Order: sequence, then structure tokens, then C-alpha cells
Amino acid sequence: MAEDPTNIDTEQKWPLDPEEYKRYGRQLIMPEIGLQGQLNLKSSSVLIVGVGGLGCPAAAYLAGAGVGKIGLVDGDTVEKSNLHRQILHSTATVGMSKVESAIKYLTSLNPTVKYVPHIAHVSTETTLDLFTPYDLVLDCTDTPASRYLISDTCVLLGKPLISASALRIDGQLMILNYPPLPPGNSKGGPCYRCFFPKPPSPESVTSCGEGGILGPVVGVMGVLQALEAIKLICAGINSEEPVESRDRPILHIFSGRPGATSPFQFRAIPFRGRKSNCAVCSSFATITKESLTSGSLDYQKFCGILNPVTALRAEERVSVEDFAESISKPMTEVRSAKRTDSRKYTVVDVREKVQFELGNLPGSINIPYSELCHVTRSDNVSMSAQKESSKDGQPTPAWVTTLSKTSPDASIYVICRLGNDSQLAVQKMKEYGLGKGSERFIADIKGGFSSWREMVDPTFPDY
Amino acid sequence: MSTLNPTPTFKILYFASCATFTRLPFESLPAPLSLRDLFPTLEKRYPGMTKRVLESCAVTVNLEYVDLEDEEVTGKGTDGEGMVIKEGDEVALIPPVSSG
Repeated sequence: MAEDPTNIDTEQKWPLDPEEYKRYGRQLIMPEIGLQGQLNLKSSSVLIVGVGGLGCPAAAYLAGAGVGKIGLVDGDTVEKSNLHRQILHSTATVGMSKVESAIKYLTSLNPTVKYVPHIAHVSTETTLDLFTPYDLVLDCTDTPASRYLISDTCVLLGKPLISASALRIDGQLMILNYPPLPPGNSKGGPCYRCFFPKPPSPESVTSCGEGGILGPVVGVMGVLQALEAIKLICAGINSEEPVESRDRPILHIFSGRPGATSPFQFRAIPFRGRKSNCAVCSSFATITKESLTSGSLDYQKFCGILNPVTALRAEERVSVEDFAESISKPMTEVRSAKRTDSRKYTVVDVREKVQFELGNLPGSINIPYSELCHVTRSDNVSMSAQKESSKDGQPTPAWVTTLSKTSPDASIYVICRLGNDSQLAVQKMKEYGLGKGSERFIADIKGGFSSWREMVDPTFPDY
Repeated sequence: MSTLNPTPTFKILYFASCATFTRLPFESLPAPLSLRDLFPTLEKRYPGMTKRVLESCAVTVNLEYVDLEDEEVTGKGTDGEGMVIKEGDEVALIPPVSSG
């Protein structure tokens, strides 16, 4: 085929390729974008850290909008449980690295964008070099440690950062280090540490795997990251306009829960500028490029490490096999006779109610771990408190009453999803005297339903 | 009767892990309350809450961020009692959400 004679002409004549006018036409005609905005997008580079529930929609819209270069960072592979929310991956790419799976989709969406794969998790050794070639970073990760590391790196390199997160039906979004002025310059935008100087306690951190996540909720947050990225790129990333003359930095909170006037809610919390004693962006900063690369900063340690629970002695624990054996006979009798009170054991399932309803052992009773742990003192502090309380202030929890009614010589077996909560639950039960000295055997089932599925009943729902 | 002369209160909103801990999305607490007494009051009501969730929370009063480390806010080290949460105020406790 002969060369297209119009090709050279158009390249010289018009700032965008003919194909680009067509592809981006619907956004080009918007005054917010226009030709200059599109050229800014084309010459920009964005690094997306985490190609999961946030990173997938963010990457899709940025690729669609014509960002020139998109870097994708993730060390994980695609799992089936990702697919309800991580929209770039598909049933066919389960097992593939998330980065490769995403690039496969994005290339078919917009082949004119340059995609750069980084198949690894971020670490203190790599972030400075990894982030340097990019204009803008999107934090789409899922741990406190990575959030602090990414934010610190962006401050040290002078890159703006768009950070979002989501859990269950709630989300948060922040534009950080914008304008991206050097540490110590109070006119620069605040960083993640300015918003949250102290990391959440490891016990309070819940992952999407534990707490659950609804696809559209994390999707909304990822889409908003793309929107903010496009706006920021079109406005000029390295603008040094002081923060005062812009809208104040804002922490956006999304809730999928219905509010008084809407089926969902956005809240905007205006923030002040950089925190005067921030460890990385203030003039009293202690975190430097050197301290980052030397390995003297341990982000995992800073955020606290949750050790595997070993709360019980060996004799307070039973294996799933032993448990299966000890319940096999009485369980059939109970089922046929429907005489639950004559059993010589009680099985307490401490998973949350929704999980219990997904599948449970016949005859087991559900006392969610959150109920076991919930302590409220009735100090008459609350005016809205509607709870009953005994005169001496410490009411007996309902679950203790329930278990007290079981036959005192019946053993209590406690089971949960993975075998951590069950150990703590056994401790709680003993604290409330349910062990009757050591008359009654109370034990945790090692490894919970995870082991149960593996060793005893492979059909038990795996969610 | 207290119903005829209700005690003045402020509204406190619990987000994310705070709501998980209290098992309430919001509630009313007696006003006025000095801001520096906020965490101790909540700790009394929900033992263990300070270490577990409060320490990492952003705190807002009427949608304005307040810095509990700021001496002007808490009145610590000064003669004043610092900022006071008044009747009808809306306080929000916002812990970082890190998953995604």
C-alpha cells in the first residue's frame, strides 16, 4: 500500500493527529479541556500504584482521556474474588499478574497511550527511582504502610498525589502535596501525614478481604481520582500558585449509606495547609531522601505489625479433625431427635452474622465476635443511651446469659473464619467465668473454617 | 422532669472504624464539653477506644478540622480552657481508611 500522502501534512498542520481529534472530540469541545488541556494530557505521565478496585477504574479513565504515559505498579496476581470490582481484569486473566492483565485491557481501550509495567510492590528501596519519571502519582493501594511511604516519596520528589481508599460502603479522597512545593515551604499542599500523623492501630485496620467492599463504592473513588487527575493535569501540574488562592485542601468522605436528603452522601472536610511540625513536609522534617533509601525507616513497624494470634495454650485448642470426630456421633443424634439441649457440647460460631448465614454447622449458635468485644459503661454520659443497665454499672452481656443456660458439663467449641477471633473469644468466655473454674472444657478450633474446608468438608462455602 | 428540660447536647459522628467500635453511626453527648476532655469522655464510655481508634482520627467541629496537638485548641500549657464544644455542635471522628 502506498504511503498516506496526507500524513506528514496533517502532523505539521495541526497540533493533534486526525485520529486524536476523533477519539477525544467529546472532551476537546469542553472549555475545561480544550486543545491546551488535551496537549497537557498527551505530554503528561501518571503513575498508578495498585491496580485493584481503585486503580482499575482510575487507569481506564486516564487511558481513555489520552494521558501520554501510564505506569502501573502491583505485585499481585488476579484472583476470582477481585472481579466484582477490579474492572480491568476478567475471568480469563485470573492467575495473570494484575499489571499485565490491566495493560491487556487498556491497550485494547486506547493503544496510543504508552503503558509501563512495574510488577512489584512498592518498597523504600524502589520508590524514589520508580516515581521520578512521572508527573503525578495516584495512591490506589490498600495498606497504611504503603500510604505513608507513597506520600513521603511524593513530598521528597515534589510530585502531587491523589490518594483514595474505600472499605465496605465508605470511601475517602484527598489531593495531597499540591502545589508540590519543597518541604518547609508552608505554601505547599499538606501531605498524608498532615491529615493523619498517627497511623491507625493494626487491630483497627480492616482489609477488603475481611471487611468486605462493594464494587461501585470503590469504583466511585477510583473514578474520582481520575477526574481529579485530569483536572490537575489540565490546570498545569507544576503550578506554584499558593494554596491560599485555591480552594482549601479537602478531605472528601463518601458514604453509600442513605442520608436525610440523599440515597448516598458526600462530605467535604476543609483542611488547613501543611502541619507545622509534619515529619516530612514541614521545616522540622526528619524524613529525607537519604533516610528513605538507607532503610532506616521501617514503615511496617511504624504502622504496627499484627502478630498471628497465639492467645491460648495447646490444651485449650483442638484440631478440625479431632473436633469433627468428637462431634460426629452426637451431631447426628441431635439432628434426628431435635433435642439440642441434651448435647454434650455447644458449638459457638463467632463470625459476623452475615458470614454465619453464608454457611454454618448444624446446631451451632452464632455470637459475633463484635458482640463479644463490645463493652459500654453506663456512666450516664450519654443522653441518647437507650441501653438497659444494672444498678452497679456493669450489665451482664446477653451472650453470657445465653451460654450460661447451656448444660454446665457441655464443652464449648469456638470456631471462626481463620482461627484468630476464636482464640480471643475463648479468653473472653473464660473471663466471664463460663469455664466454671476448669470444670467446663472451652476450646478454640484451630484454623477455623479455613482448615475445616481443607481437612473435613471441602464443600463448605469459600468466600 | 428531664423530658421537659432536656440536657443540652452536641452530636458526634463516628466514621469507619470508629463506628465499628461504638457500633453507632452517631449519638448525642452532653454539652458543653471542653475539647481536651473529648477523648477521655469517649474512653470512659467505650473502654479501649483511645488506643484502638481515637489516636489516629482526624477530628472536626462543625466541619472544621481541629488539631488536638495544638495548645490553642486544647488550652494545655495556657491559662485558658481551650476550645469548647457547644450545644448543637457537630463533632466528627474520622479515622484513616487505608484499604482499596
